[in-house]
Amino acid sequence: MYLPSQAVIQDITIENSRIKTYTLAFTDKEYQRNFSYAPGQFMMVSVPHCGEAPISFASSPTRPGTIELSVRKAGELTSRLHSLPAGSMIGLRGPYGKPFPMEELAGKDLLFVAGGIGLAPLRSVITFCLDSGKYGTITLLYGSRTPEDIAFQADIEMWRKAGVDCRLTVDESSSDWQGNVGVVTTLLPQTMPLSSSTVSLVCGPLVMIDFVIKELTQMGLKDEDIITTMERHMKCGVGVCGHCHMDDKMICVDGPVFSKKELTESVAHFQEKPTVT
Amino acid sequence: MSAAYILAKDHLKSFVRKISKGSRLIAPVTNEYGDTLYSEINCLDSTQIDTQHQPQSSIKHFFLPQQESILSYSVSQAGEYHFSNILIGVPTVFFGVRSCDLAGLLYMDVIFSNPAKDPYYFKKRENSIIISLGCNEPFENCFCNATKSGPFLDFGFDLRFTDLGDRFLVEPGRKRGMEILEEFAYFFNDASEQDLKDQYQLQLESRSSFQQNVHVDLAIKKLANEEVGKDVWQDLADRCQDCGGCAYVCPTCTCFTITDQPVSESEGERVRSWDACTFAGFTRMVGGHNPVSSEHSLRRRFLHKLKYDVSLHNRTSCTGCGRCVGICFGGVDIIKFISAVCES
Ligand SMILES: Cc1cc2nc3c(=O)[nH]c(=O)nc-3n(C[C@H](O)[C@H](O)[C@H](O)COP(=O)(O)OP(=O)(O)OC[C@H]3O[C@@H](n4cnc5c(N)ncnc54)[C@H](O)[C@@H]3O)c2cc1C
Ligand code: SF4
Ligand code: FES
Repeated sequence: MYLPSQAVIQDITIENSRIKTYTLAFTDKEYQRNFSYAPGQFMMVSVPHCGEAPISFASSPTRPGTIELSVRKAGELTSRLHSLPAGSMIGLRGPYGKPFPMEELAGKDLLFVAGGIGLAPLRSVITFCLDSGKYGTITLLYGSRTPEDIAFQADIEMWRKAGVDCRLTVDESSSDWQGNVGVVTTLLPQTMPLSSSTVSLVCGPLVMIDFVIKELTQMGLKDEDIITTMERHMKCGVGVCGHCHMDDKMICVDGPVFSKKELTESVAHFQEKPTVT
Repeated sequence: MSAAYILAKDHLKSFVRKISKGSRLIAPVTNEYGDTLYSEINCLDSTQIDTQHQPQSSIKHFFLPQQESILSYSVSQAGEYHFSNILIGVPTVFFGVRSCDLAGLLYMDVIFSNPAKDPYYFKKRENSIIISLGCNEPFENCFCNATKSGPFLDFGFDLRFTDLGDRFLVEPGRKRGMEILEEFAYFFNDASEQDLKDQYQLQLESRSSFQQNVHVDLAIKKLANEEVGKDVWQDLADRCQDCGGCAYVCPTCTCFTITDQPVSESEGERVRSWDACTFAGFTRMVGGHNPVSSEHSLRRRFLHKLKYDVSLHNRTSCTGCGRCVGICFGGVDIIKFISAVCES
């Protein structure tokens, strides 16, 4: 269960100066054919000599044949990955984790709120929704630091054409930016009033998640209709190494997808005050 | 056949020699510095098995080594990147395993069975024969009576030895134990009524001579129902030096990390090594952000043992071995925590 399978980087899309999307296929064709996953799950990615890192699916299982992972250059492994050209081999094991409740979300109006690389796992969900056609209206609020940092622009164009209401914002504008300036929560009032069947999926930096969840609650969304993902240092991905432990939950197995309801029931989220060391 | 046998003490060495033929033998040995450790015995003639002192470390590291290469990988010139498992399991006889350490092993069996059998652990586990030894006299920091894992754990062993003075009472547990008794029947006599009475008496005396009085049950009930006061955590956090000693000596602390160790440009090994949830870096993420503060890493260690494992497995994963009590120079041990919970 710790044995990675070899996958080849078929294609690389540069999303911004720090994020690249990798199109991957297992070199064992049989394995690739039988491989299945769901939006919200993640893979443990191996890069030669760099160990492993958890990365969410950015692609949707509705488009089989390859998988896509979007990776932000952060530390050792992700930097090495960013230096690899197409055709290089990496190791993958998974899928791991509890996915988004795609069945339960059918028929609902979906409000996606993303910050930075947080759009990667939501990209998987949005693609899934559009491909399956079983969902209500789709709205995306996406925050980036600067206009140059806006990732997934090609996807956003495609989604707009498919009828997704995409609204972008940047923290700091530059001269030729016509759009909204401010953190992603400043876009929330534009979505009012929310339909009674709205469910919100929130993904991004921890601070952003906290603020967005607070506002969504004030806007009247019930705890079970706010869904987010938790990020923790992970080593095994299968609930054994202890690294992603949060009270009685293991984020890698019981998450990373949680509703606000589940998080409120788990005391630690509110007791474990974030500290920057 | 009765279910208990007698082995004369004079025959212990020859019996142990017989059953460990072709296997590695691990038993408690006191070294020249006075430390008692479960050690590999190469020459039984020149080595004394120590059945009197508590081993300072558990048998955990024989199954989950402090550092273990679990995979080897290669990167070929053409870029092929392949991994293969490194599975090592030497047939091993463990003699003189104390109840707390056996309980720890049974806990690891559960931990390493989910979501699938951990191949590296079970390769070792399935190659092991466990001969336990009841504790006639609890040691200074022991409280296994309160964690219900000793001093005479009734299950999980292949054979259980009880020291009756000039002889051992030997009982089979799992199937392998029965097979050993049959194969080496000539060493044994059936135990008499009196032998069993003697054992019963010893167990009673042992149970009544614990020096530590630890209210594990009460703490478990309180923890299930109420929050621990902030001052309790703060007090413990102030004194924790973040050394990880408690986790290292603990038979049921199994957290690990995984890293790559390159051997050359084109080859390397993936290594699994012990980690401790009390380390500051345990949850630190890229960029230095740590979602868990130090006070809460202690919370994680203690509540894991006394709350979450109770709700998951119906029993505490502290086996009452008392080792963290002996090792922590800051006094941040589980007995202190349990007392603080009970008093608050
Ligand atoms: C469920 C989940 C999904 C994710 N999805 C994505 C995604 O889709 N895209 C994306 O870009 N990122 C994602 N991340 C974040 C990503 O996993 C990290 O950015 C990545 O692990 C950083 O690895 P690195 O080697 O580049 O960083 P480094 O900090 O250099 O880490 C090197 C290695 O050491 C470990 N490490 C780091 N700090 C410590 C420490 N203090 N002590 C011990 N070990 C340490 C790391 O886990 C890593 O294995 C996700 C994370 C999680 C938990
Ligand atoms: S917590 Fe302490 S007393 Fe309990 S099993 Fe671990 S080391 Fe032994
Ligand atoms: S990553 Fe190892 S337990 Fe979750």
